[in-house]
Amino acid sequence: MNLLPLIVVVPLITAVVFSYIYRSKYVKPLTLFIGFILLVLPLLGTYGPYFFGGHGIVYIGTIPLVSGIVYTLNPLKETMIFTLMLIGSIVLVLSTRERELSGVFTSLVLMGLASVSAVILTEDLFNLYVFYEIAAITQAGLVILSGTEEAYRSAFRYLLVGTMAGSILLLGVGLLLSATGSLNIGDMGRCLTVNPLTPTVYGGLLMLIVGLAYGGGLPPFHTLKADLYARAKPFVAAILQAYSKFILIALMLVVLKLFGNLPIFHTTRGVLIALSVFAMVFGTVMALLQEDYRKLLAYHTVSQGGYVALGLALGTPLAILAGIFHGINHTLYKSALFIGAHILDKIKSTDMRKVGGLLLVTPTLAFLILCAKLASIGIPPFNGFQSKLLLAEAVMNANMPELAVLMLILSIGTFLYMMKAFYLIFLRPCSEEQLREFKDVKISKYYILSLGLLLVLCLFLGIYPDIVIDRLYPVVEDIGVKWVLESIKNS
Amino acid sequence: MDLQLASFITAGALVVLGLYGFFFVDNVIKKIIALSIIGNGVNLTLVAMGYKEGGYAPIYIPSVEFQVFAREMAYPLPQALVLTNIVIGASMLAVMLALSIVFYRKYKTLKTSVILKED
Repeated sequence: MNLLPLIVVVPLITAVVFSYIYRSKYVKPLTLFIGFILLVLPLLGTYGPYFFGGHGIVYIGTIPLVSGIVYTLNPLKETMIFTLMLIGSIVLVLSTRERELSGVFTSLVLMGLASVSAVILTEDLFNLYVFYEIAAITQAGLVILSGTEEAYRSAFRYLLVGTMAGSILLLGVGLLLSATGSLNIGDMGRCLTVNPLTPTVYGGLLMLIVGLAYGGGLPPFHTLKADLYARAKPFVAAILQAYSKFILIALMLVVLKLFGNLPIFHTTRGVLIALSVFAMVFGTVMALLQEDYRKLLAYHTVSQGGYVALGLALGTPLAILAGIFHGINHTLYKSALFIGAHILDKIKSTDMRKVGGLLLVTPTLAFLILCAKLASIGIPPFNGFQSKLLLAEAVMNANMPELAVLMLILSIGTFLYMMKAFYLIFLRPCSEEQLREFKDVKISKYYILSLGLLLVLCLFLGIYPDIVIDRLYPVVEDIGVKWVLESIKNS
Repeated sequence: MDLQLASFITAGALVVLGLYGFFFVDNVIKKIIALSIIGNGVNLTLVAMGYKEGGYAPIYIPSVEFQVFAREMAYPLPQALVLTNIVIGASMLAVMLALSIVFYRKYKTLKTSVILKED
């Protein structure tokens, strides 16, 4: 029996339950319980398609077409969902240490997990749109829960632009539906390959890219996303960035599946690479200018989103693999960094001008954050190194050495601002009085343990990257764009 | 005029009107209304795509032969999409209006230039 739908259904139903019992005294124990259940969910599905209603695969003449909504599970999707659920689980467990936890927070996190899982699993473009919109509302809701004026403003801005971007994405879905007569991504891709391209298809593609840029935090929506991460509580930003990263990967894969083997992808690839490079450069430059650690991490997330998008935009199997692997790695170490920022916020502030000398107060935290920073910069033996190396190799294979040089320069930039932040927070001398004030703050062991767990994973994937790569490669090999490979071979 | 064409033109006009409101009107509620108008324009486009001149509504009529009904009915999928989108649009609208109330209580104005001003 295939229990694949439970990956979406369980968090969705429990989200509704939590929204009803949000003031109950059982919220904390139930949140802990569901936090552990989430880790089991990705293991419930079996590989292959799952049909929701409809008539399965029907034949029109000799052409097979999908009837109804289909979810598919493969090792790639399973790995992505497992990473997502792991981060969700950690955030839920940590939320039980927060005084002001209510069922609303748990409900929103679960709703987000359900919707992003559905975006990853679905093969139906409209179903993807529906869950994409739910994810957008959920993200805004999680930021609103921070309760600050800036958080309200960021969420409102995000929703305003999101409503517009959502409408554009829906119009794109409608145009592609009218061009192909189907909403199944596989059927649509096959139909587009055999039929001549019309302005409707061009319009649909353009609108899909707008939706992708909004959901994944690529330009021109990158500042909105950065603002969202910076205004949310840091441990909430950990799950927000995971949502964005996986939505970005899922939508990029949709673009590749639909348009990868069409001549139009030549231009599309250029546009997507340009957007990715802009996100990488903008994120790094803006992060260099920040004095607030939260904002620094927010812009770093934007720049790393660019790396992920770059890999997927290049279109070769190796590049797609590198992009997805970097997305998974980034989600892990960035969650660790955001949890670290949350601890700093509890000690004093994330404003780097107001803290200093914390190495003497919490050496364990300093060590863990340093490890997470090394992973984010791309220094061995951490996972960031493996995925960045793979990405650089993919870029070189795609005959774009200039991008590899740019990646190297931006990594130096990342090193500079990460080390600047480390110096200001942990090494800069500060007064005895301030140190005493910092020492008085009690830090829950849950935070340190979750940081440690994430870093162990980062280290493990840095030493044994093949465990993930071997699982992902057979899937991405099929998605790779054939003409890109041929043009590389010919050159 | 062809009803489908007229619907597309109306939808286009709604989207343009909505875009104008979204970009140029300095009022939170009006911006939200503008977004709603854009959403309605998109919905109308989708419904118009599935329209069939002189066709049946996509609800099975037992007195009509199935083959004829299947050939002559309007395409039902866009209508299903629009129904779902109306629900999503309503929830987005609810959250944005709730935030507008919070902003109004705080700033005593609905001007976007005041409410969304960077510190």
